[in-house]
Amino acid sequence: MVSEEYGFFIDPQRCIGCRSCVAACAECGTHRGHSMIHLDELDRSASTQTGPTVCMHCEDPVCAMSCPADAIKRTEDGVVHASQKPRCVACGNCEMSCPFGVPLVLPGLEQMLKCDLCYDRSSVGLKPMCATVCPSQALLFAPRHEVAAMRGSRPLREFQVGELLVRTRNAVMVPDPETPLHLDAALLLDGGF
Amino acid sequence: MNPLSRLELEPRPLARAALATLALGGLVALGNGGGRWLDPALLGYLIASLFACFGVAYRYFTWLERPATAMYWRWTLRTFLSVRGLRALPRVGLKLLDQLFLQRFIGKRSIKRWGAHACLAWGCLLAFSVTFPLVFGWVRFTSDGANADRYQAWLFGMPAGSFPLGSATAFIAFHILDLAALMVIAGCVLAFLRRSTDEGDAATQRFDLDILPLLLLIAVSATGLLLTASETWLQGRNFGTLAFLHELTVILLLLFLPFGKLFHIVQRPAQAGVSLYKAEGDAQGLLPCRTCATPFIRPNHRRDLERLWLELGLDGARHPGGIHHLDLCPRCRRRLVMGAQSLRLHGAFDPFAEVPLPVEPLADPISFRS
Ligand code: SF4
Ligand code: SF4
Repeated sequence: MVSEEYGFFIDPQRCIGCRSCVAACAECGTHRGHSMIHLDELDRSASTQTGPTVCMHCEDPVCAMSCPADAIKRTEDGVVHASQKPRCVACGNCEMSCPFGVPLVLPGLEQMLKCDLCYDRSSVGLKPMCATVCPSQALLFAPRHEVAAMRGSRPLREFQVGELLVRTRNAVMVPDPETPLHLDAALLLDGGF
Repeated sequence: MNPLSRLELEPRPLARAALATLALGGLVALGNGGGRWLDPALLGYLIASLFACFGVAYRYFTWLERPATAMYWRWTLRTFLSVRGLRALPRVGLKLLDQLFLQRFIGKRSIKRWGAHACLAWGCLLAFSVTFPLVFGWVRFTSDGANADRYQAWLFGMPAGSFPLGSATAFIAFHILDLAALMVIAGCVLAFLRRSTDEGDAATQRFDLDILPLLLLIAVSATGLLLTASETWLQGRNFGTLAFLHELTVILLLLFLPFGKLFHIVQRPAQAGVSLYKAEGDAQGLLPCRTCATPFIRPNHRRDLERLWLELGLDGARHPGGIHHLDLCPRCRRRLVMGAQSLRLHGAFDPFAEVPLPVEPLADPISFRS
């Protein structure tokens, strides 16, 4: 079990694009050899901004709801696990349904893999691999109460896509966490970054 | 109160499972001459098989009712009842051969996993294909009339060849289950060895889901082998007790089929339908992302997921301007989080902004262990 006391805090603005997390992720015991972290550029022509994406560990995971094989399980500690190997039929429903673009169905393996908070580590009190190596702490795994003292921004765990509200275990750091983070496609269409 | 709802049983899958069990019962009776060729010693196994059939069918039909499963099930039914589906049969056959028998996809996950799984799967399939026909009375062996040195095999009550005692055929016929048991035990040992060294499995495995089925398989195989040992080397000593223990373990395994990990045996063929569904979508060409124009989703998948989201109550996930969230590629969905955070910070990241530092240095209770 991952302690409720510990949260995962993502701060894309701190990301320097070094890809340490990408390399470290492949060392995780639950999916050794496959890096599950995504490191994307926001808009290469207009900004140097990069950002890491790990699974947000949703309270009502859309990936699990969309899975025909019932292969995705959320444990009591709020961690949404990668697909159960015997069940996953590699249909890609989760890959196309996740609001945050997280799961990957790896060709040939016939299985969906995704971030499971390095369960082999986090369940015994160690940091996930990415948070261990991130030099800028864009990825931070820490006791919740310490984060307030460490940062000017605050953790936000609610995301709004149209009328759909998604609540998550992991948090994104924002200055004003009172309202959900609106994920509005117009942001990308305007190219306004 | 409705007793079904107290047991949380779904009426429709329940009725279908009952029908499936009746159908199996009918086929069993048809194949064994209305019980004439049934071996009374195997009656316990037969009853457990019928119970297992009911349990597996109930879980299977409940599973098919989940909206996401129904999405593929409906498509598969429609396709296989069409000319297109019939034409695709050879391709599906090859897929099934690869995925159910060769299981090459497991080899790509890890060769150790494949080795363990191959021994387990082939051992189990071999054992099932021998045991069920014997238990159902579809296949039986008798001495060949007056000739006590020969054995006669019967299939559905019809003679299916005879062979002399002591021949290679007789050895194979009487020891094929021993071979299956050895394969299963080898598979279990390999699986335990892998589990003991794999940190990922160690963290996520559960006794009831991952360990218990292996223990049950070992118990069934070991008692089966002990029966042979008793008969061959110990002049049948303790045969009765061993036969009882073997029957008990097999019945437990059969009754466990619907609940545990072994259920994936009946779930797995769905993969062939999924492969065909994907091939259909690929032939149509991928649809582009509405924001970055990168092709990413199969048209049939896009259409069916929208229906699924509607059923799941997720249909409100539309962006202003009517863009469905399903029309954004996974990369753009990820970029949206970054972009939205950036917007909250007024589009500006000021590396020199003052960040309040903690007064005391923070203790880091979780340190990196290599
Ligand atoms: S972020 Fe995506 S993959 Fe992770 S739990 Fe939520 S829906 Fe599933
Ligand atoms: S790819 Fe696997 S885990 Fe994802 S929805 Fe399909 S069956 Fe479920």
